[in-house]
Amino acid sequence: MNQMVRTPPALPASVAFSGQRGEFRRLVTRGALLELVTVGFYRFWLATDIRRHLWSHTSVDGDGFEYTGRAGELLIGFLFALAILVPIYLAYFLVGLEAERFKAFASFPLVAFFYVFGQFAIYRARRYRLTRTVWRGVRFWMTGSGWAYAARAALWALLMPLTLGLILPWREAALERYKMRHSHFGDLQGSFEGRGWEFFKRGFWIWLTAVVALLVLVLAVPLGKLLPALLPMAKVMAFVAALVLLIGAPFLYGAFRAVEWRWWISGIRFGDVALESALPRNALSGLYWKVIGWYLLIAVLFGAYLSLCAALAANLAQTSMTTMFVSGHLQGSIPVLVAMGIGYLGFILAVNVVMRVYLLRDLWAKLIDSTTVHGLEAAANVAASGDLASALGEGLADGLDVAGF
Amino acid sequence: MDSAPENATAPSGAGAAIYFDGKSSRRRLVTLTFNDRLELREALEQATEWNYADIRRADGPAGTLRVTCLTAPALARLEIRDAAVAAELLSWCTHLDDNVPGRHGVAAIVGWSVAAAASIVAVVLFGVPLAADRLTPLVPQAFEARLGEAADRQIKAVFDGRVCSNEAGQAALEKLVGRVKEGAGLDASVRTAVLSTPVPNAFALPGGTVYVFKGLLARADNPDEIAGVLAHEFGHLRHRDSTRNLITSGGTSFLIGLLFGDVTGSGALIFASRSLVTSSYSREAEQNADSFSIDTMHRLGRSPKAMGELLLRVTGKDGDRTLSILSSHPLTEDRLARMKSEEGPLTGPPLLTAGEWASLRAICE
Repeated sequence: MNQMVRTPPALPASVAFSGQRGEFRRLVTRGALLELVTVGFYRFWLATDIRRHLWSHTSVDGDGFEYTGRAGELLIGFLFALAILVPIYLAYFLVGLEAERFKAFASFPLVAFFYVFGQFAIYRARRYRLTRTVWRGVRFWMTGSGWAYAARAALWALLMPLTLGLILPWREAALERYKMRHSHFGDLQGSFEGRGWEFFKRGFWIWLTAVVALLVLVLAVPLGKLLPALLPMAKVMAFVAALVLLIGAPFLYGAFRAVEWRWWISGIRFGDVALESALPRNALSGLYWKVIGWYLLIAVLFGAYLSLCAALAANLAQTSMTTMFVSGHLQGSIPVLVAMGIGYLGFILAVNVVMRVYLLRDLWAKLIDSTTVHGLEAAANVAASGDLASALGEGLADGLDVAGF
Repeated sequence: MDSAPENATAPSGAGAAIYFDGKSSRRRLVTLTFNDRLELREALEQATEWNYADIRRADGPAGTLRVTCLTAPALARLEIRDAAVAAELLSWCTHLDDNVPGRHGVAAIVGWSVAAAASIVAVVLFGVPLAADRLTPLVPQAFEARLGEAADRQIKAVFDGRVCSNEAGQAALEKLVGRVKEGAGLDASVRTAVLSTPVPNAFALPGGTVYVFKGLLARADNPDEIAGVLAHEFGHLRHRDSTRNLITSGGTSFLIGLLFGDVTGSGALIFASRSLVTSSYSREAEQNADSFSIDTMHRLGRSPKAMGELLLRVTGKDGDRTLSILSSHPLTEDRLARMKSEEGPLTGPPLLTAGEWASLRAICE
């Protein structure tokens, strides 16, 4: 902040999110119900509506963003992705078969191929979303090679287990540099200024706490058994470690994500436009606790619904609950199975609503509110440039069940 | 181009708005004039004119009317924040909401989705079994043999299994297998071995290997019981059930995966519905293999129900524990009842002597 005193720049531009929480909640609840009715096909429309809501209520310097992607594009992307994935799965099966003939479970490393492919899909999906993002009548766009990115992501991922995850900040910095270097707003080229070391310094304590607690939990009692005099103390230590992990996990994870988001946002540049985030470390733990609370509540309701189903079935079959569970009179009771299946779907969709409201909308609002933009005058007269990318990447990411951006 | 001063000729009002021309991000303050076309005039610049019929709504924040024009660059945007001006523009534009997503309602999406789901379910229930029946004979034996080799290595790794082959036991096994093959009318390409695993089980691998586990031999009372099991497994080989199973379960997983896609956490549901469907296929396969076993035992003049008795001994009263529509094997009591009804007089010679039977049971020692 000293720099600001020396050379006073223009005032940072305001970044704001004006979306109504109730409106978003209705949007995702209705979407979840429609997903249920359409056995999941509505997901393309829901994803598009969610993005339209989040984008259009986000503004920088008073000008709102716009998401121009359409659900039909996602659907077609998904169908194309299927056409590509089917032969790949077949080839995977045949290669795996040959590997298994060579040695049992030799096909296991082939899973690595799907990891790399998933990273490719993530890159291409990001490109789709970016090219559908419009601000002041100019679109963002992206170049670069999905495969080059996937290779980088996979090589860095190999180092993760070797360093017990300590390499993570440098991995993220390198991957973000690649993504941002190839991102553009009109003729402004993006870049990423975040340094791995900065992230490491801010996040190291979280890693240390988690690893130490885990080691104490796993090792205290076995070590204590070697020295019987210390065993009671070892048990207490293991108990404390378990408590730290159980109660502390949402705090630790929330702090980790907050540090990561703040570092990431503060590293983003488009030409001379610089983003900065002031997200406090404890900003996100509350969200995770709320999700856990809702999850438990929904799980209890689901359990009650299941017992109700079973009780009704027992009533119909004129047997007591105990005989039903012990001697398996549930057998062949298709209505009960169907009712349970529907209950399970409802459970999943309710959890999805909760996740989307807290971990998507609320998280988005917190991130936006913490962000300021410096040097926006560099974006005052940017020439439009760049082409639209296809939604194939989104389809592949959907088909491979990977997410990221 | 209307070059008259805007205030003088504006027939029904004018208003300020922000215009992005879609070619640069420059924010242009424009004055709107509602003539027979919409005029966007920036100070000192030539006016842009839009036909009202070409104006379409774009997504915008609350309190802002954001529109674009079909004849303008794709990303040109006009933003009106003054409610009165917005209302005025709304009253002129007749096709404003033509391109708004979801305008045609969710009914169409729901209708098409339900139709797609119904067609997928129909394919799973009727198309996939039919395709499997037709495709199975087309799969070359060499491919099945490769499948079998891969499965063989996995099984040996999973069960940590050593093939038992002490001399007397091996001789007895070969005699028994020879008799059953003869009764079943199978050629020499079928191999049989005993794996030293305490699990009471037996199965056929594609390509023609049948494994009997030591645990099953230990629970068997007489050679007919093992012969019935062997004949059952030979039935699976003859019907090429593992290849058919591969095709059906592969096709079914793929199709059901299409339905739920990424509804997070629905993996369990996909798994459950798939096992419901595939278990009904394999129940049929088990019944056919039973028929094959019964016929073989008839031809050998031995007891078809011996195998059923062995299965019942191994699994216990199966029907009490599982959901019958989920179980891949029909209830053992049902199967036993069927085999009992096929029971006839023992016309053939015993398959093994008492001594050979004892050596077979001791094959792993």
